[in-house]
Amino acid sequence: MSLKDPRIDKMIGDNSLYMCLECGKCSASCPRMLTGKEYSPRLLAHKLIAERNDEAFIENSVWECLTCGLCEERCPSGVAVSNFILEMRTLLAGSKGLKGYRAHDGALHSWMRMMTSPEMEQDRLGWLTPELKTREKGPVAYFVGCAPYFDVFFAGIQVDTLSIARSSVKLLNFFDIEPVLLKNERCCGHDLLWTGDRDNFETLCRLNYAELKSAGVEEVILSCPEGYLVFSKYMPKVIPEFDLKVTFLLNMVAEEMYRGGKAFKPLRRKVTYHDPCRLSRKAGIVEEPRKLLGMVPELSLREMESWGKSSLCCGNNGFINCDAYSKKIQVERIKQARATRAEAMVTACPKCMIHLTCAMRDPVRRGSDRKLEIVDLITLLAERIEYKG
Amino acid sequence: MDKDLNLLGICCNWNPYACYSAASRANLPMPRNFRLMRVMCIGRINQALILRAFEMGADGVILLECKDEDCRYGPGPEMGHTNVRRVRKILELLGIGQERLVERQFSAHEKEELASSLWSFAEEIARLGPNPAKPRQERERQQAIKREAV
Repeated sequence: MSLKDPRIDKMIGDNSLYMCLECGKCSASCPRMLTGKEYSPRLLAHKLIAERNDEAFIENSVWECLTCGLCEERCPSGVAVSNFILEMRTLLAGSKGLKGYRAHDGALHSWMRMMTSPEMEQDRLGWLTPELKTREKGPVAYFVGCAPYFDVFFAGIQVDTLSIARSSVKLLNFFDIEPVLLKNERCCGHDLLWTGDRDNFETLCRLNYAELKSAGVEEVILSCPEGYLVFSKYMPKVIPEFDLKVTFLLNMVAEEMYRGGKAFKPLRRKVTYHDPCRLSRKAGIVEEPRKLLGMVPELSLREMESWGKSSLCCGNNGFINCDAYSKKIQVERIKQARATRAEAMVTACPKCMIHLTCAMRDPVRRGSDRKLEIVDLITLLAERIEYKG
Repeated sequence: MDKDLNLLGICCNWNPYACYSAASRANLPMPRNFRLMRVMCIGRINQALILRAFEMGADGVILLECKDEDCRYGPGPEMGHTNVRRVRKILELLGIGQERLVERQFSAHEKEELASSLWSFAEEIARLGPNPAKPRQERERQQAIKREAV
């Protein structure tokens, strides 16, 4: 395939690349560009429109993007950069193979692809403790996601992703919901989708949908921003008959709190909140986490230099292209957090936790100015919620 | 022996490969459905490469490595132990089962031991049958090959 392909012209049109004014706001805000990588969204748009014969540059750039979406947030012309990157990757992967350096040598993508097997019998619920009440069939399901796998794979850097799953079930039990936990839940496919593996992504969607349907589920609750994005935005496009109600756990907790009768125990702490890109920019959930933190008595929230929809990326996405520049972004983010003099950084995405913790564990600089405790928002809330009045 | 099973041996270039070539020269019988991949040291293999073998349709993987104290480079076999321990946990989660990943250590003269380990490994995988968690494409590809053969 050459880049003269008419499908690319259509993509350029659909994602409003012709609207580009070359103002350069995208490149000026791109975390990858700002840390010194030779990558520029503005130049990519220019080359695609005016110099399509520079194939090497265009192809490299397509795999280089973090798809964090900061550029499209700032773009005055509404160019859908990350969606364009997603479509280009799907097209290039289909004809020229998957590119982009896969972090951890692609181990994570390996198990994600293995999950496309229809006959597998997973053993993924070993983390459930007796006090957590769950069911096999019922109307409401909790989608656990990759937490059990991350817990094994990232044991070396001590990120407790399973505590997010346990706390989520605990919260749901607190609201008198006994969620269905699928024994054979598959990966949501977010990373395969964003690395161009559309075929396997669609298989995973169909398998998950079939599993949920056969358990009689009508509503899926998710605690992971990436899973939420896939279930709410991409899965209905793959499955035309999709009729599940998709709920983000933090939204649900916020609603329950407004209803009254519950409160959080006080926590005397200064914290800052890191917005995951999939939650803030892609799903538009910026206020709810802050409101929930505001409901915890004695907790003081301090905003970082960049927050909300203009929040800095955690340095990596879809487990590709992790390099020295990713690390620079992560270090920059930790510096911003430490500059608020907060005692802990609260976040809502297991991958942000993993990436930022990894940056702190640099063997050369360990114990230096990069240390900061990272706390998951759901865990923090689940530990402190109680009935009142 | 079941010809449909894919077995992969990842073999260190030093002691285990010496055993393997000595066993071949001595015409010791070895399982047929076996592929051997020679690497410079088992410490070169990481978790991802072992998982990749399963992703690409392996039904069982055996790591053939030197004894801890014999490693030419130092920490090779110990890294092998760590990787095997972690990958086994992931295989367990995936429902593939940890018995499908085996680790054996050899000194340079143990050609009979190597041949018999390969045999017992092949028998164990034959008993377990095909790996249940093969990716869809891999499954389809193997079925297509089978159809062509018919």
